[in-house]
Amino acid sequence: MKRFLLHLAPLPVLVACIYPFAWMFFSSFKTNREIYRPAQLLPEDYEWDSYSALWSGEYLPFLDYFMHSLLVSGGQAILATLVTAAAGFAFAKFGFRGSGWLFGVAVLVILVPKQALAVPLFEWMAWLGWQGDLWSLALPGVASGLGVIFFTQVFRKVPGELVDLARVEGLSPVRIFALLLPLVAPALVTYCFLHFILSWQEHLLPLLMLDDENLTLPIALAKLKDSSHRIPEAVGMAAATLSLIPVVVLFGLCFRKMKTALVELSLS
Amino acid sequence: MKEKGKGGRFLPLLLLLGPFFGLWALFWLVPLGMGIDLSMQSPDFRPAHREEAMPGQTAPTSSLSFLDWRSAPEEPSADAPRYVGLENFRKVMEDPKFHKALGNTLVYVSGSIAVILPLAFFLAACLRGLPRLTRAGMVFCLMIPGLALPGVISTLFYLFFHGREGALNQYLVIPMGFDPVNWMMDPSFIMPSLILQAVWRWTGLVTLFFLCGMEAIPRWQFEVARIEGAGSWTRLSRILFPGVRHLAVFAGVFLVVDGFAAFSGAYNLLGGSGGILDSGLLLVTYVYQVAFPGGSGRFDFPGAAAMSLLVAPVTAFLLFLLLRARRALSAR
Repeated sequence: MKRFLLHLAPLPVLVACIYPFAWMFFSSFKTNREIYRPAQLLPEDYEWDSYSALWSGEYLPFLDYFMHSLLVSGGQAILATLVTAAAGFAFAKFGFRGSGWLFGVAVLVILVPKQALAVPLFEWMAWLGWQGDLWSLALPGVASGLGVIFFTQVFRKVPGELVDLARVEGLSPVRIFALLLPLVAPALVTYCFLHFILSWQEHLLPLLMLDDENLTLPIALAKLKDSSHRIPEAVGMAAATLSLIPVVVLFGLCFRKMKTALVELSLS
Repeated sequence: MKEKGKGGRFLPLLLLLGPFFGLWALFWLVPLGMGIDLSMQSPDFRPAHREEAMPGQTAPTSSLSFLDWRSAPEEPSADAPRYVGLENFRKVMEDPKFHKALGNTLVYVSGSIAVILPLAFFLAACLRGLPRLTRAGMVFCLMIPGLALPGVISTLFYLFFHGREGALNQYLVIPMGFDPVNWMMDPSFIMPSLILQAVWRWTGLVTLFFLCGMEAIPRWQFEVARIEGAGSWTRLSRILFPGVRHLAVFAGVFLVVDGFAAFSGAYNLLGGSGGILDSGLLLVTYVYQVAFPGGSGRFDFPGAAAMSLLVAPVTAFLLFLLLRARRALSAR
């Protein structure tokens, strides 16, 4: 009986987590009148109008924004994973002179996040002539301090004999790194996923950096909401639902690998 | 493993570290330098492209209104002295609103950590015994708020938990015999509601962390505990808790970093303002307010830059505390 209760305990939390999102999904079919009654979950009938409005770009070029978000977040996540993994590998397996100092400097990034540097970053991009461009959004997040720490930890656990052996065989560090990548695949996937989420959710930098035609999803959603009720609420709900899909799919794909990586990390 | 050879070693390492430090210098060090430079300038000194933003701000409430002011080249048109030294820092330090924002952010970060970590630990301990597939499904559902965009989260959160008819009022506050709380308008409840939003968002992810940590605990430890007749409390504190402490520190660092950068949640919930009496004013929101004020037209970039630089020592201190806590935990 006690065990049964213990298993039941997470249920309220679970409901609190799912119900609002179920409501969001069903609301994308509702009329405004129905949406203003939050107690009602299911719509009276299912209209796909809001999705087709988004598809055809009636209120704003939603598909373009969606693609921008995918490009920026995906590109940034992949690039960040590779770059920080390489740095982490070098820190973990090659104790060269000044490596500790360099590591400390790299980790300083954590203390001043890019959001805090938004204003000078913006001026710097303007000086480079990149402002408004998607690159100006994708590149600043790549050098991530958390990533370096994470991968240094991960590569420390790779047996040193492997690296020594490869070095005796005369392989260059870059080759060794490339050969070790499959061994740490779960960690790579995990970090890539986490970075993807964070950059997918980024709100302040795109608000500052991007031109109107280059906006990303968070801004698009905000725009759909604050235009003085000209746009039916259901469109916003549909956009919110669509914005959730890539992340959920990615999470489903990464779930197993993430668990492996986290189990390994907790053993350190 | 220390390196012996030199010369030929250097280039390959450069290939490994180069990309990171290249990007690091370009997109962190240079902006940081510019930020320091900017923070020393007088707010009255305006390069031309900032001047342009001043006249005719027609739509002060729209969050996008300043997007139009950016194209002019930088042309110093000084009539005031350009550099004022540490004047901006002094002003920021004396600014009561900055203190308020700093205090709020500290409360926000420590509050959300203090709620999320125990709650996630409890959830993970509950979910641990479930069959594999059910557990995976439940964790997946718990994660959903963390996957959604912050804007969506605050909209839904407001609707379901904080409205007059929201779940918190209906099922918690009224049954306990209190008057329904006006979560967004009552200054003493804005901060709790921001914290609750962070809790709603991140608990799932941290639960996943902890579950994985608990899975890594070897079976024999539980066997021993069972044979020795240890109670569930002992099992919790002596086996499960040490099993997840590394991940707890990792999660803590993640939450601190995210909490200090928190902008979107409060921005959406409070419309860019600090809420009533600024009780929901967070640091990044305030930096944003100072740099791009909606109506008043006082674009204080140097002040904003000085403020963002002052955040670093605070974050450093919090992270330092966390790592100390980790060492204390490991020593046990």
